[in-house]
Amino acid sequence: MAATSMAAALAASLPAPTAAPAPAAPTYEAIPPSMAKVIDIEAEIPLQVVQLDGLVVTKILKHSKEASSATVHGLLLGLDLDGTLEVSNSFALPHHVSDEDEKSAKSSARYQASMLRSLREVQADDSVVGFYQATSLGAFFNQNLVEIQAIHQDKLRHGGVVIVHDLSLTARGNASFRAFRLTPSFLDAYKKSNFSTSSLVNHRLTFSSILEEIPLQVRTNPLLGSFLGSLAKSTPSLLPDANPETARTHPIPPSFSALDLGTTGLTKNLEQVIEAVDNYRTEEGNLAYLSRQIARERSRADMYVAKRKEENAARVAQDLAPLPEEDVARLFKIPAEPSRLESMLLLGQIDAYGKSLESTASSGLIKMYGVRSI
Amino acid sequence: MTLGGSSAVHIQSSTTSSAPSVPRTPSSITIHPVALFSILDHYLRRNDEQPRVIGTLLGTRSSDNTQIHVRSSFAVLHSENEEQVAVDMEYHRTMYELHSRVNPKETIVGWYSTGSNLNTYSALIQNFYSQETAPHHAIHVALNTGAEEGEEAGVQAYVSSPVGVFPKPENCIFVPVPVRLQFQDAERSGLDLLTQTAQSPNSTTAQPITSIANLDATLNTVSQMLDRVLGYVRQVLAGEIEGDKALGRYLMDTLGVAAIGEKGGEDKAFNASLQDTLMISYLANLVRAQAEVSARLALVTS
Repeated sequence: MAATSMAAALAASLPAPTAAPAPAAPTYEAIPPSMAKVIDIEAEIPLQVVQLDGLVVTKILKHSKEASSATVHGLLLGLDLDGTLEVSNSFALPHHVSDEDEKSAKSSARYQASMLRSLREVQADDSVVGFYQATSLGAFFNQNLVEIQAIHQDKLRHGGVVIVHDLSLTARGNASFRAFRLTPSFLDAYKKSNFSTSSLVNHRLTFSSILEEIPLQVRTNPLLGSFLGSLAKSTPSLLPDANPETARTHPIPPSFSALDLGTTGLTKNLEQVIEAVDNYRTEEGNLAYLSRQIARERSRADMYVAKRKEENAARVAQDLAPLPEEDVARLFKIPAEPSRLESMLLLGQIDAYGKSLESTASSGLIKMYGVRSI
Repeated sequence: MTLGGSSAVHIQSSTTSSAPSVPRTPSSITIHPVALFSILDHYLRRNDEQPRVIGTLLGTRSSDNTQIHVRSSFAVLHSENEEQVAVDMEYHRTMYELHSRVNPKETIVGWYSTGSNLNTYSALIQNFYSQETAPHHAIHVALNTGAEEGEEAGVQAYVSSPVGVFPKPENCIFVPVPVRLQFQDAERSGLDLLTQTAQSPNSTTAQPITSIANLDATLNTVSQMLDRVLGYVRQVLAGEIEGDKALGRYLMDTLGVAAIGEKGGEDKAFNASLQDTLMISYLANLVRAQAEVSARLALVTS
């Protein structure tokens, strides 16, 4: 339930597609010919790459690190220019402890609206281009993400993107950000809310074709760049006889956390693989039960129809009026085919956990041989 | 890890003698990178005629009020000219309310401005923020962006104290307080990523970086450092430059730690660990293959 009300709140706050502010809209001057090619008011140029500003990188990092809850969400603000989606700002969304009620959904929508208005006043970008989410160990497939993104893709220019930030990788010294959006075929199936087997076959959907990845770049503006440069510079200590640790001071000391030999995350990762597999088995069990029930009901219906036909044939042979063909569907309630979305998402999770396990193991191997050769 | 030079004057404030109900003045301030970067972004987006921008700093205080952690910041509209200064207090309140919904723990601790000149208006604004943070002291962080010629980028933090027998809001003394950049270990990699990005030719880097590539980069850095040390040692040995005794001792200390004891015992541990790692790797591949097969099988209809 949490997911739907969150999604509803998002939907309420987003601008209608027609009102989506195009970059050129607020300036009422004619677009200079040199820029005419890169400014597309109609959002016709497809997105090639997502560009993440340094500010957003630190904001997402801080939010996901400090958030008390498991789900960390925020909105991304920016604009697109010539196929590059520049994400220049972001803000965190409040987490609801009990977001079952309509009220908190509304207040969340109000929060977003007034935040956007406030940001516009200080001349920050105020058009929503997507949202971000923090996960650990690469498993970002869940209903929540799919739902929010489906709404965004309906409402935003270019459909919006979701940026996924991996906490566990970041803790290991490799800040990881990836940009995704839903594939058209998944969106089509999602809109019809039809995830039966035949629909999956028609749309050729597996877990790997739910999301498509968009290349992502991190950018620092020159001012930030020069500032970071001056932070990274070391200054010699004022004391004449300092020991090596304090001889030079850095605001940002160089770090070699990538060389850490510990395998702390590994056990947790394995546990999560097991958990995901267990969940998947339960889900498969449910599916199998449902499909057995469908088969049973169907065979009963078929038997009934066959029996009625036989009886009618017999009656016709005895020159009696045939019994009316009753509505089989009314007599036997054949349950609808179960949705396979959940099991597909679970498979995606298993795959993601497996992938992160694999990469940890492979870099672990390298480090082990590295240490041995010393 | 001090920021922006060493000119901070350490003045023991006299609050200890005053009434115990008055909180102590902060003696050290730490700043989270996100606050700094927000200030820089605000500075970039200012109007042309605005010489400086100001905003509110949010953060937490330690229990004895001597330490302040600045954790985030937001921009506040203001205008100043020869005659007057105006701060949009309405806006400041709205933004603070919005922020406190996401981060209820963060409270107003002070304000920031860009540039390093403190003037009468600074004192007035400081007076305003002191009311906001009362009974605690408001801090002022002056961030020099280094964008103007002849100025160096850096950060300075101040607390204020009233001056004169009859204190007036437009007069105050700004007392410098030492300020440090602070971040959690997990956020470290984000900063590394940004510093790398800033150094790359067109200040962009492609994502995602695999952990192997990251490891490779780190190993390369280490190997370059070793090369540098080796080059230096060779030069000293060849008599080209005179060796620094202190440096030699540091090197010995550092390299002495790296030397590992006798062989034999480790081989066993190494093999066991190797087998574990390989098994995990196989397992991961197996799980992924199974997941893929399962997804394909779901598409098969009879």
